[in-house]
Amino acid sequence: MNIKKIIGKEFIFFDGAMGTMLQQAGLPIGELPESFNISYPEVIYDIHKKYIDAGADVITTNTFGANEYKLKDLPYSVEQIISKAVSIARDAAGNKLVALDIGPIGQLMEPIGTLKFDEAYEIFKRQIKAGETAGADLILIETISDLYEAKAAILAAKENCSLPVFCTMTFQQNGRTLTGTDPTTMVHVLEGLGIDALGINCSLGPKEIKPIIEKILKISTVPVIVQPNAGLPKLKEGKTVFDLTPEVFSEEIKNMAQMGISIIGGCCGTNPDFIKKAKKYLEGLYPIKLNNKKLTTVCSSTKTIVIGNDIKIIGERINPTGKKKLKEALRNNNLDYILSEAIKQKEAGADILDVNIGLPEINEKEMMPKIIKEIQGIVDIPLQIDSTNTDTIEAAVRVFNGKPLINSVNGKTESMKSIFPIVKKYGACVIGLTLDENGIPKKAEERAAIAEKIINTASSYGIPKENILIDCLVLTASAQQEEVMETLKAIKLVKDRFDVKTTLGVSNVSFGLPQRKIINRTFLAMALSFGLDAPIIDPLLESNLETIHTFNVLANHDKDAQNFINIYRNDSKKEEPKKLEAKKNLKQIIIDGIKDEAAQKTKELLNSITPLEIVNNYLVPALDLVGNKYEKEEIFLPQLIRSAETVKASFEVIKEHLLKEGKSNISKGKILLATVKGDIHDIGKNIVKVLLENYGFDVLDLGKDVPIEEVVEQTKAHDIKLVGLSALMTTTVKNMEQTIKAIRENHIHCYIMVGGAVLNQEYADMIGADFYAKDARESVTIAQKVFQ
Amino acid sequence: MYIDKKEVLRYLGYHSKKIDTITNEIIDTCIEEIKEIANFNYVYRIFPIEKKDKKIFLEGTSLIFESKNLYAHLLNSKKCALLAVTLGNIVDQKIRYYSKINLSKSLIFDAVATTAIESICDEIEENIKIIAKKYGLHITNRYSPGYGDFPLSYQPKIIHLLDAQKKIGLTATPDFILIPRKSVTAIIGLEDKPSINKLSSCAKCSQNRTCIYKKDGDTCEYKKNNR
Repeated sequence: MNIKKIIGKEFIFFDGAMGTMLQQAGLPIGELPESFNISYPEVIYDIHKKYIDAGADVITTNTFGANEYKLKDLPYSVEQIISKAVSIARDAAGNKLVALDIGPIGQLMEPIGTLKFDEAYEIFKRQIKAGETAGADLILIETISDLYEAKAAILAAKENCSLPVFCTMTFQQNGRTLTGTDPTTMVHVLEGLGIDALGINCSLGPKEIKPIIEKILKISTVPVIVQPNAGLPKLKEGKTVFDLTPEVFSEEIKNMAQMGISIIGGCCGTNPDFIKKAKKYLEGLYPIKLNNKKLTTVCSSTKTIVIGNDIKIIGERINPTGKKKLKEALRNNNLDYILSEAIKQKEAGADILDVNIGLPEINEKEMMPKIIKEIQGIVDIPLQIDSTNTDTIEAAVRVFNGKPLINSVNGKTESMKSIFPIVKKYGACVIGLTLDENGIPKKAEERAAIAEKIINTASSYGIPKENILIDCLVLTASAQQEEVMETLKAIKLVKDRFDVKTTLGVSNVSFGLPQRKIINRTFLAMALSFGLDAPIIDPLLESNLETIHTFNVLANHDKDAQNFINIYRNDSKKEEPKKLEAKKNLKQIIIDGIKDEAAQKTKELLNSITPLEIVNNYLVPALDLVGNKYEKEEIFLPQLIRSAETVKASFEVIKEHLLKEGKSNISKGKILLATVKGDIHDIGKNIVKVLLENYGFDVLDLGKDVPIEEVVEQTKAHDIKLVGLSALMTTTVKNMEQTIKAIRENHIHCYIMVGGAVLNQEYADMIGADFYAKDARESVTIAQKVFQ
Repeated sequence: MYIDKKEVLRYLGYHSKKIDTITNEIIDTCIEEIKEIANFNYVYRIFPIEKKDKKIFLEGTSLIFESKNLYAHLLNSKKCALLAVTLGNIVDQKIRYYSKINLSKSLIFDAVATTAIESICDEIEENIKIIAKKYGLHITNRYSPGYGDFPLSYQPKIIHLLDAQKKIGLTATPDFILIPRKSVTAIIGLEDKPSINKLSSCAKCSQNRTCIYKKDGDTCEYKKNNR
């Protein structure tokens, strides 16, 4: 049986539950069911055989949790379990097929958990290699909640075996997976990764799955699988029960078959009767061919942005070109600044964020994936990976959780040859620039010709034109005035001729002219009317947003101007920026903890006094006062931190001022902070950080779950004099001890302070720390002592 | 989901002292927000237990609890309920998000989430109480890994037995941290006569010396429930 030939043409039946059958057979719960392949092979064989007799075309090996993480306490290796499981299934299957079952690893991936993408990939790779070697016919990745984990598993399968790969995810009644992925996003991402069939299993019964599968069937261009539970699980007297009969189950399956699913099986609570019945109900029927049109989409793990309906905004601010502060942040590993730029743009209305970190002194290939991971952990919109370096692009696209947009490819043969394989493999969207070996052509016609070349070449790699956005390239009006209109004409040409979506880096047009905002705004409006779909702009500029919102009304995208009215109805009220109470001084603002006011007031003060005077006359006294109040229990932690964040806002204004003046920082010393390996509690560390910054120290924050080697490396690289380590669990204090040991062994001359709930002075001494900080205030005292 | 503001303040260390208006307002917003976004899920299962050599055996399973304190807790119990509850990772994500833009709020949000998960546990405990009543049994308080000498290393075992990863998305890291963060696993005994709690005094707890709650002048959930 060649599954690739019949898939989508005939109904394919998988088996039903394994766990349910194992329990019925009386095998003990609490043990890993994968070990039963070795200890009770005849029971496993018997279950498989029953499903084959019931009419299953494919049976699934008893290897759901056969990964090295779950098997770590068993005496069997992944290879032993998998080869045995496949051989039992093979014996039972006869001429039917055997699917290697792969369930979730059992660890949540970062940033939710601590499992790294590469680790997950390696775990899956081992299973897949063992499965193919043992003779499985296809790979079934199932019951996945986390899209990121699905991506790791699919990549591991595609890169390490030649078998067909199916993937099902599991949804809750609210229509999302436990990590928040919606069915639409799942389809766009998994299809992009080149899956052979996708769908839903477990968690729900067929009735509850139906509305979710409906959404999938509307957009999927690959065959769709459904493997429901025998109804919605119910807790009865402290036990889980499923209450659908095979008849009701099969009726629902038939329903979904008529909607377009073509691969069927059962999950928890089902048994051979369910498969037999379902097969009977579908006798004489054939799957409906799915004729869904491809769309131009980019996705985060929880959100799909469809380009082409209304105008989508690509935020341009994460790009160091011409931005001193961002350059500074990149050099100092200050990810918080980059994250705040991401958050600001998203809140302002960006649909996609461009991420460019191209600075000569930065190792882009290392830094880019790190930044991508950080941003996608905080902001839920898709990202545009912007780099001129192919390796950087691949590294970033690989760890991106979703369907990214690559910026960019162009008409040069070399560029297409290096970028298209990445676009294809990871199912990304890509921006195609209309330039080639001869540069940017003057005329619209010539640019359209390059667009055509890009689209055709992409097609030869199997990349549909829906995954391409053409950028007709903006030239500056100050230098090449006569060509500005050519760009706009080219937009119209490529849209009319090739039916592709377009993007444009709008603000380039105004280089070298005064009042760039005005030029940008007008050019943006012009470009939109020529058919621009996704402008790359600064979403924090009100004028840009106003133009887009207005355009959406005038172009009949914003029906009944609803969105426009919502935004601008109350506009008269926000005309004037809030005036500060003249009497309130900076000290009081800090005590009250009002961030925005602090920033404004600091700006005012900088006109009359020096930064150092602000620090000494306002910030330090305010901090002391707040600190005393905290010690006397007149105020509590939330207030203390609010004041600290207010001081930080003031400090940021001062730093920016110094940067502009070209003066060096007023830093009292650099301190490295990290929550140790294995620990993910970082609130305490973050509190320490903000307080240290308040007192003028520079903090290099490595984040949480920081590998020991990274602490050592960074301490060395930045010549750190004081390292602060935090751990909250008894189980992670051992990693703290090892981190300290590693620092000492590397002969780094620095002081180490430790803190965290389970520590005390005695413990701190025992693990070799120099200081124990019982709270955040204490860490400031220690720092002051060290840097005296 | 009922969120008791007094409890939130307790987690924030206020000890019934007065709070400023801004903090008060933020707490209210956080409570509303948690109610809106939390996607709590739980699973529990009741097992008959057998006690031998100071060990507790869950019948029909391969799980054995070895802990003096838990043994004392389940002294009169014939059965026990194993329970796993989680607020889901959207709450974690929100805390992470706030920690980047408003640390003070993330602190408060964290405390509100802790209050929420405890309150959900209370509700489930009520359900278990009703089931126990049917058997003519009483229930003990909740007992979790990490209390007394009952080690955290039982987290993955409990998760596995309840199939809690598949059912509610709960996992434990190699260092036994529950993820999503705002989650609880617990054991509730079903006993024929209400027992006197041996562990109601902090002095008898094995964690007494390093207790993270005592440090802040507070007590753990166990102690609180036994007050």
